[in-house]
Amino acid sequence: MVRERGQMKIMQMLFMIVGVFFFFVLAGLFFLGIMFKDVRGGADELAREQAISSLEILAAMPELSYGDREAMSLDEDKLRVMVEGYGASYGNFWPIASLEVYKIYPAFDSVVPCPAANCNYYNIYTDPRYENLQVGDSGQGNIEKVSSYVSICKRIRELGSVYDRCEVGKIVVGMEEISEVGE
Amino acid sequence: MKRGQFSFVWIFAILAGGAILALAIYGAVQAGGTLRHVSDSEAAKNFAILTDPLHAGFAEGSFGKISFRQETRLNNFCFNDGKFGANELSVATRSGVGEEWILPGEPTSVYNKYIFSKGENVGFDYGVFSKPFEFPYEVSDLIFLMDGEYCFLNAPEVVENEVLDLGIDNILFGNCSSEIERVCFGSGEDCDSIVYGSCSGGCDSIYDEGVVSKASGELRYVGNLMWGAIFSDNGVYECNVERLMYRTKSIADVFASKTDLMDARDCGTNLKGDLIVWGGLAGNATSGDLTSLANIAETMDRKNNLEDCKIW
Repeated sequence: MVRERGQMKIMQMLFMIVGVFFFFVLAGLFFLGIMFKDVRGGADELAREQAISSLEILAAMPELSYGDREAMSLDEDKLRVMVEGYGASYGNFWPIASLEVYKIYPAFDSVVPCPAANCNYYNIYTDPRYENLQVGDSGQGNIEKVSSYVSICKRIRELGSVYDRCEVGKIVVGMEEISEVGE
Repeated sequence: MKRGQFSFVWIFAILAGGAILALAIYGAVQAGGTLRHVSDSEAAKNFAILTDPLHAGFAEGSFGKISFRQETRLNNFCFNDGKFGANELSVATRSGVGEEWILPGEPTSVYNKYIFSKGENVGFDYGVFSKPFEFPYEVSDLIFLMDGEYCFLNAPEVVENEVLDLGIDNILFGNCSSEIERVCFGSGEDCDSIVYGSCSGGCDSIYDEGVVSKASGELRYVGNLMWGAIFSDNGVYECNVERLMYRTKSIADVFASKTDLMDARDCGTNLKGDLIVWGGLAGNATSGDLTSLANIAETMDRKNNLEDCKIW
């Protein structure tokens, strides 16, 4: 009888210990879940900050900028060269997931990728992982986009004089949304 | 209840409780280590982003300070893959609990910046400034990182003015304590490094090109690369110069293609041939080739300035 009661006690103790153990495991998993959600959020935030601060840096890069005199001015000739293969060859060099430039004035009905007659869209670079996104997509898939207005200029010679002709454009930088990738 | 039975229950409870406590402590230490790794990785990424506003842009340069709450080891590893390469930044923070220093967090690769510094930097505050690099067109901004103070001796007025204009308080002139790293221009006593200028003709200063001589070797420079040669380890300097030369070549390729588009609308230039040759020379250049390349760059710049339709 005493022996049975002792065994009963040990069983009770075992159940208790197993219960406490599982409680700590679950509490630990809950804590880790919160912790890594924070990490993903932090990584997203960092990527967003980087994309925003990249806008000005990208526009000032000698591969895109229109000389060194004007801020936020892109060289139309360089854009043309970059869409014809150079942009992709830069690969990881771009600290972003995508880089596009639109001419926005005069307003257009449809997006016409360059090079083409009356084109208004330059797809300079898209990370190969996101190449299936449609032209003009914004905020879709796992890319979040930020943009800024720019001048798109080129040097023209007309009637014997040389001048800069500029149009209004928009530079659009895409950044990877890490939280969506993991979910 | 028998006495032996009571003792057994207690002994069992103590053992099991001890095991659970040990597991909990082990788990907490592991989680703490993971958090530290995550925070170090975030710090490296943050550091890379914080250098963004330092891009000189149209200015002659800019200076800023990046501070950490804890003492930090900031590693700058430059890798050159024969293309654009990268600076890999990693951070390890000092901790008062557990191991003082652990391995650094995940490195952040920065492909579009050229960060000149020692391989391992230690401190709370880092002085960071940038200067543009033109060869002959604008290639990139150079970023210089200092983890301590430097004493410049016999510095020419142009260098002193540049430092004072940017407000770089990590660089002192004249009387400095002997603990600070001493950089001498031309000559001096107890110098950690000596800058020898060799520019003659068409220069703002004799130090527009030359050699920085250190105990670890000599580093040849042109223009603002002088700052890189002063503040960097040899490995970081050579690697960044080669990355810069590849970038110079890539921009030359873009410019060469741009000339075709300009020609097509009657706004042509005669620089295409020069750009192709220039790209070929710069693509594989090292710091030893800088001085000879600088002469060609100057000639090209003069040609470009004579054009109606300038390439840059």
